[in-house]
Amino acid sequence: MKKKIMVLIFYMIAVISLTGCFDANELDELGISLILGFDVVEDKLLITAEVVDPQYSSSSSDTGEGSTVKYVQGIGNTVFEAFRDITLKFDRRIYAAHNKVLIFGEELARSGLITHIDQLFRDREQRESAFMLIAKGARAYEVMGVNSGLETVPANYILDLIKNINNNPKSIDTNIISYMQHYYHEGHHPIVGVIEKKRKNVIDKTSEDKGSEEYELSIIGSAIFRKDKLIGYLNGNDTKAVNYLLNNIENGIITFPIFNSSEEKVQSEGLPTNVSSVNVIKGKTKNDIEINGDKVILKTKINIRAALGELIAKTDVSNEEDIRRLEDACSKTVEVNIESAVKKVQQEYGTDIFGFGMAFHHKYPKQWEKIKENWDEIFKDAEFQIEVKTSIIRTGLINKPTI
Amino acid sequence: MSYKKKDKLYFHQSFLLIVIYKMMTGLTYLPSLNIPPANQDVWIMLLVSIPYTMIYSLPLLFLSNKFCNYDFLESAELIMGKRLGKIIGIYYSLFFLTNLIFFSGGFIEILDASLYDETPTIVNTLILLFTCAYLVNKGIMNLVRLTELTIPFIIILFFILALLGIDNYDFQTFLPILSDSKFGEINKGALLTTIGYIDILILRMLTTYLDDKSKINRLFVSSLIFSTVMIILSVLVVQATLGIEYAKRVNFPYYTFTRLITIGETQGFDLLYVVAWIIGNVIKASGYLYFTTIALGKVTNKKNQVFIIPVALIATIAIVYIKDNRPILAVRDPYQQMIHVFAFIGVLVIPLMALIVYFFRRDKIKSTINSKEQ
Repeated sequence: MKKKIMVLIFYMIAVISLTGCFDANELDELGISLILGFDVVEDKLLITAEVVDPQYSSSSSDTGEGSTVKYVQGIGNTVFEAFRDITLKFDRRIYAAHNKVLIFGEELARSGLITHIDQLFRDREQRESAFMLIAKGARAYEVMGVNSGLETVPANYILDLIKNINNNPKSIDTNIISYMQHYYHEGHHPIVGVIEKKRKNVIDKTSEDKGSEEYELSIIGSAIFRKDKLIGYLNGNDTKAVNYLLNNIENGIITFPIFNSSEEKVQSEGLPTNVSSVNVIKGKTKNDIEINGDKVILKTKINIRAALGELIAKTDVSNEEDIRRLEDACSKTVEVNIESAVKKVQQEYGTDIFGFGMAFHHKYPKQWEKIKENWDEIFKDAEFQIEVKTSIIRTGLINKPTI
Repeated sequence: MSYKKKDKLYFHQSFLLIVIYKMMTGLTYLPSLNIPPANQDVWIMLLVSIPYTMIYSLPLLFLSNKFCNYDFLESAELIMGKRLGKIIGIYYSLFFLTNLIFFSGGFIEILDASLYDETPTIVNTLILLFTCAYLVNKGIMNLVRLTELTIPFIIILFFILALLGIDNYDFQTFLPILSDSKFGEINKGALLTTIGYIDILILRMLTTYLDDKSKINRLFVSSLIFSTVMIILSVLVVQATLGIEYAKRVNFPYYTFTRLITIGETQGFDLLYVVAWIIGNVIKASGYLYFTTIALGKVTNKKNQVFIIPVALIATIAIVYIKDNRPILAVRDPYQQMIHVFAFIGVLVIPLMALIVYFFRRDKIKSTINSKEQ
């Protein structure tokens, strides 16, 4: 009996003392951030957080008053300190578990990312799946707050732009974990998406709201890193070539010239003719390396399956020969574009962002041990060979062109 | 006797209880990732460790078969004499207690780091150890029934998570195979993995309860292979998702792997993992607590229940003391080395000594057993 009473007392104490949860997070005490911006300002780290405003309701949305988000900033020597600095200016603790995108100012990216963002890996609230973007030629907070899409939350607008890589591979969707994989890979430097604020044509003259409506965000292109330091940018077409070489093509269009005869050319003035666009259904890339004496040859084979999307030429796609000519023209264009991108990266940056170093490692592991420290030098001077095979497997609702 | 004669363990129950020990190590901090060769060939090293572990466990396995009606401490008394038997009993009590403290300490540390960073260590520790104490208070059958109900769920969940994470896998990570590792490194890693293997002790502690004692060898081999395969799968999914180098830097790699699982817009699959992980760890800690009290009961000739609350309290104090002074998982040495030395003595040295003595004294031991059985 005495024992039972003791047990009962113990459980009562436990029940009383354990009713509250030490780590309770009350929704009305949190500032849920969706995007974080990181900058260097006067040798300190500046964090800008886009925080969801819970006061914004559907009725506010109908009247168009107010904003769905607020922006708060904190400064410190470390990310952690900057986060805590926010608490002195903003009434809620920044809750980072819903962060979808991290934007880094160019200056910070050039000085080295990994050194400064340890907190993003150490803190349980941060998500390793958050996408990374570099604010091209700007600070992170300068590109934040622009929303020219239909999404009411700017973070969702940016997130949707990133996800549009599925339709147009002229950008890169690197998240923290894939950045870290490439950062540690020997023979494969990281490449990260970029974001730019651009002035846009104001079409809707009836709109009185001229705030962010005059601007739009563009994520075309990519940022090249040597380990964790930003060293330069690639344009949209070169980024598309990188996506091909990284086997990261799920969709996207290829526009290419078609010559039915040697006399025909793409018109130099006016809208082009003798061009066609195909939509990639599936792309498969295989990178390889060959050593020929002292020479290293980078080899790429790409197989593309595509659907004909547009044809501005007198080509009859019901004819097998014409289809072959289209396929060859498409392959040739892809080859030329990729060759140009590889040459640009080799000559301007001398940094292997395509992962040929990994292919070397896989194929020649013994030699790799000897040359891995100098791989970028070898990559810079290596010969590049490409072979593209295109198969057009759909031709749309018409066969003969309308012209 | 501190256990009831009617307590009988079936093959599958013992199998599940044994495999959860190694499996939970994999699902928690996956030490194999940092053991030589610490690269894409870790899975090969783990395969190589299987025959090493079999050889390493032979003395204890032999004793388990020979003295299957006696638990390890009773057999130690039979072979080495009463006094030495008691000393061995004290050693194993301390061995299981140390494992209880450091394993539970690690568990609490992960809870602190990943879920409850503001909850005081003592609260988490008390909840864990009193749950364990309650579980083992009525004997091993409670624990076994919980194991039987929950471990299959954990195993199924493990495979489901591996499938859900498939979009994140980069299988190129595993190339080139066997080119970056030296023969010596793989063998060194396999030996280190073997030294950390203590599941054979769990099996030895369970042999007296086994329903069919002729299946001891089968139980050992199947549980060893199964748990190693589960660890290999953990290594593969973690390395394929996080990459070789980053995986080595992460304290709780499998947890990070589950955090990255996304299906469309749906995230938060780590929650499933955490539920399974907590259940598995409670079972594992309960096992250590139970075996500590069993060993103490044998040494003192008392019922093991007498020791459950005191041992749980001692473990709580030790965990709170250690945890509030330094991290256990990030700074593993000297604790990890200590556990390895303890395990090496407990799994190989003492059983080997007992085996040698047994061969010299086997006639006398047989007659003692016969007289006891008559």
